[in-house]
Amino acid sequence: MNESEIISRMREAGLGGVGELDTSAADPFVVIEADSLRAAMLFLRDDEACAMEMMHCVTATERKASIEVVYHLCSYEHHHSLTVKVICERPEGGTHDNWRPAVPTVADIYAAANWHEREQYDLLGVIFTDHPDFRRILLPQEWIGHPLRKDYIYPSEHGGIPLELDAIPLYMEGGEEAVAAKKAERPAGEPLNQPPSKYSARPDAGGKAPESSEGKVNNSRDSAH
Amino acid sequence: METLIGVFEQQLGLEGVWALSAAYSVCIGSLLGFITVYAMFAIWMERKVAAHMQVRMGPMETGAWHGWAQSIADAVKLLFKEDIIPSQSNKVMFWIAPAVVFCGVFAGFIVIPFALGLQIADLNLGIFFLISIASIEVIGVIMAGWASNSKYSLFGAIREAAQVVSYEIPTATALLVPILVVGSFRLDDFNLWQEANGWLIFHSPWMMLAGLVFFISSLAGCKRAPFDLPEAESELVSGFHTEYSGMRFSFFFLEEYASMFVASAVMATLWFGGWTIPFVDMSTWTDPDSFGLSDVAVTSIGIVVLLAKTFFFIFVQMWLRWTLPRLRVDQVMTLGYKYLVPWGFVALVMTAIFKYYGWGWFPN
Amino acid sequence: MEALEMYTVDRTSDVYTEELRLNLGPQHPSTHGVLRVELQMDGEIITAARSDIGYLHRCAEKIGENVTYLQYTPYTDRMDYLASMNNNLAWSLTVEKLLDIEAPERSQWIRVLVVELNRIASHLIAFGTYGIDLGANTPFFYAFRERESIMALLEKISGARMLYNFIRPGGVANDIDDAWMDEVLAFCDDFDKRWDEYNRILTNNHIFIKRTANIGILTKEMALAYGCTGPVLRASGVKWDLRRDIPYLKPYDEIEFDVPVGMGTHGTLGDCWDRYWVRMREMRECTSIIRQAIAAIPDGVHMEKKMERMYKTPLTPEPGEAYMRCENPRGELAFYAVSEGGKSPIRCRARAPSFCNLSVLDKLLPGTMLADGVAVIGSLDIVLGEVDR
Repeated sequence: MNESEIISRMREAGLGGVGELDTSAADPFVVIEADSLRAAMLFLRDDEACAMEMMHCVTATERKASIEVVYHLCSYEHHHSLTVKVICERPEGGTHDNWRPAVPTVADIYAAANWHEREQYDLLGVIFTDHPDFRRILLPQEWIGHPLRKDYIYPSEHGGIPLELDAIPLYMEGGEEAVAAKKAERPAGEPLNQPPSKYSARPDAGGKAPESSEGKVNNSRDSAH
Repeated sequence: METLIGVFEQQLGLEGVWALSAAYSVCIGSLLGFITVYAMFAIWMERKVAAHMQVRMGPMETGAWHGWAQSIADAVKLLFKEDIIPSQSNKVMFWIAPAVVFCGVFAGFIVIPFALGLQIADLNLGIFFLISIASIEVIGVIMAGWASNSKYSLFGAIREAAQVVSYEIPTATALLVPILVVGSFRLDDFNLWQEANGWLIFHSPWMMLAGLVFFISSLAGCKRAPFDLPEAESELVSGFHTEYSGMRFSFFFLEEYASMFVASAVMATLWFGGWTIPFVDMSTWTDPDSFGLSDVAVTSIGIVVLLAKTFFFIFVQMWLRWTLPRLRVDQVMTLGYKYLVPWGFVALVMTAIFKYYGWGWFPN
Repeated sequence: MEALEMYTVDRTSDVYTEELRLNLGPQHPSTHGVLRVELQMDGEIITAARSDIGYLHRCAEKIGENVTYLQYTPYTDRMDYLASMNNNLAWSLTVEKLLDIEAPERSQWIRVLVVELNRIASHLIAFGTYGIDLGANTPFFYAFRERESIMALLEKISGARMLYNFIRPGGVANDIDDAWMDEVLAFCDDFDKRWDEYNRILTNNHIFIKRTANIGILTKEMALAYGCTGPVLRASGVKWDLRRDIPYLKPYDEIEFDVPVGMGTHGTLGDCWDRYWVRMREMRECTSIIRQAIAAIPDGVHMEKKMERMYKTPLTPEPGEAYMRCENPRGELAFYAVSEGGKSPIRCRARAPSFCNLSVLDKLLPGTMLADGVAVIGSLDIVLGEVDR
């Protein structure tokens, strides 16, 4: 079956919220509403003609107006595949700091989605509701923010280790001047929206040198017992 | 030992306790020197054996000729390394453990007959002494594993305890077989018996079986692959000596190679004639009518014969180590209790029957 | 360590054993990198496991959003650093799909050649390190001897030993000549002999079979549910190979090759031995593919002429998205690139095969012994550079 046949089969089965097949991209995709995602996934997995036994990938993509969660499904039996999208519209003034879109989890339908969803939460801050083990997967548990969001700003330090990075793309519209202007906008090492670590000994990062022995970072050999 | 005391008393005029202590010092010193030099050589040999099995050269630079000085360089490095004791460890036990481990093996050396009359303690119950003194090592390993306060070390120590205690049964059973034939616990009696009658390994098929059982169990006793579970570097990082470094670590290393030597020397002595050459009475070589050799020369020939046999078995141990994968804990136990122990007993009973009826390839 | 609640001890009985919590990694000889697994142990038996990844996270996807399409190719090298060619190929195909172009025919054959060579090299590492995991050190050196020849061969055409950056969108970086192909053929002949040697020293070793058969059984259903791909999936009895089923390069359509699947030779279908043996047989298939490819390679150009502009000005594909799957040594690597018409993608997602294969580990470990746990991790053949990206 090709994608349009799969979609018409889904419609025949009475699944709501299934959009039209979008063939503008190299891979045609179908947009499904978040509420009917789980029912659609169950159908795609269990229906004999679809038999999408394989959740290949879960990706979240941030665009200007939305965050899309993209599911790539495929079938070993029928050699066909389907791209399903759930689009979360960006609310007015929705930024990295105040907006985390929510999508129902499919981790109990496809075990493979478990880690993929954790990764997308970790890097893009998409909440997968009712996920069985909803933790960060790649970054440390105490990390603040979701780095793959476009308006994420790098912390100037983590755990007392300074990160002298600035998130300025190598290529920008406007050429080198734009890059230079952007760099001037925010000098490296400036304290950013991530609060400095309590272990920080760097006054310029906003932290205070630790006074109590608790939480003291032992980096000199003399102080080791 | 007695000879040495005699020498000190008569020729140097030392008396009683002084002669005794002088003799002790000479024996211990020479043994320590021997073990150190031997271990360095064995480590170099292990590297070379491993390298040539693995299509590479091994150490080639240190000391110009095939890296002969590599072990010496390593020993110097280990001596000068910083002495690290983990802050959360039980420091006294951590400190004592390598010494305990080494003592057990070191004591085993004193009953090995290196050549005619060259034996530190000629005990009547030499083999019995060997089995019992070798068990001390386990205590040291458990101490090391516990004192390190590391879970990997603890795993290694517990594995060692289970393994070595289990494999003492087949070891002892297999050792009883030649004892049954020769009728003595004294190690030098085996040499003399085999000098007169030929190697015990060819006594009967059951003796061969006993030799095999002993060799396999001695591999387990020495923690050599495929039984190197207490160390198991791919599972337990480094097992019971994970937290050890520098000189303390080198004691464990020394112990491993020393116990390999003891096991191989016992194998060579009990089944392969020790320092003797079958049907050749070496003591007559001093006779001016035959070769007219000096005592020292005959003793040296004995040492060379024993070392040749011993190093052959050490080589086989290395060979196995670089060929076989490691067994799992339960498989080690299965092999010990379900195969080696029954085989050992079969060999024992059958040898008893053979001896009673006077069967075998050279009945005696 | 966070609490593991999967296994509980009956504390009401008179005598019970406290479980031990063991941190396997991140610095451990046989986690194949910086993987950390929290284990709950009852003596030697693992009762619960939870893997913790991310120690090698290098923000590859974020980097992808900040560099041009061509500039990202070297970064893909660093994901699965044991099979860089395959990663290059997957990324190049993704970009080509996004641009709606196709590489010249000769370059496709060259791609097949180098990718299969690299697949052998990668499986050799899997074979060698698996031996080390089980305590047999020697096979590792044998494997490295052959891998060294492959690296020398690939160095001749790409200039690099491990991180090649050879396959690029629109073709390959350099052309190959007949002398090089003769060397490859000589290597293949030699390798087939060595392959028998490997089986003599490791595959048919009784201890090795005892250690791997019936251990870490991954059923077909589990493999499908967890999205396992590559040899891990095939060892569970699924005859699926992208190269055969959805040929993403023309030559795969024309070349005859078999897809080895697990058969449960010494135990149950989908055990560690099956996974190992599938990889071993795949190496033989690779040499067969290479021989056929060398026999059939056509003349032509190695790089699309119009693509050379990439070296001068960055590519700007039309807005759109492309998802491209490739059969890597470890499974299906897929890149998902979303373009909005700019010089760099707005989203650059790598679906790493090791990542998905590793997610099944938590389910495989409970009930095995510590030594088996190491065998299971080794048989999944993960590369942490790819898991964490």
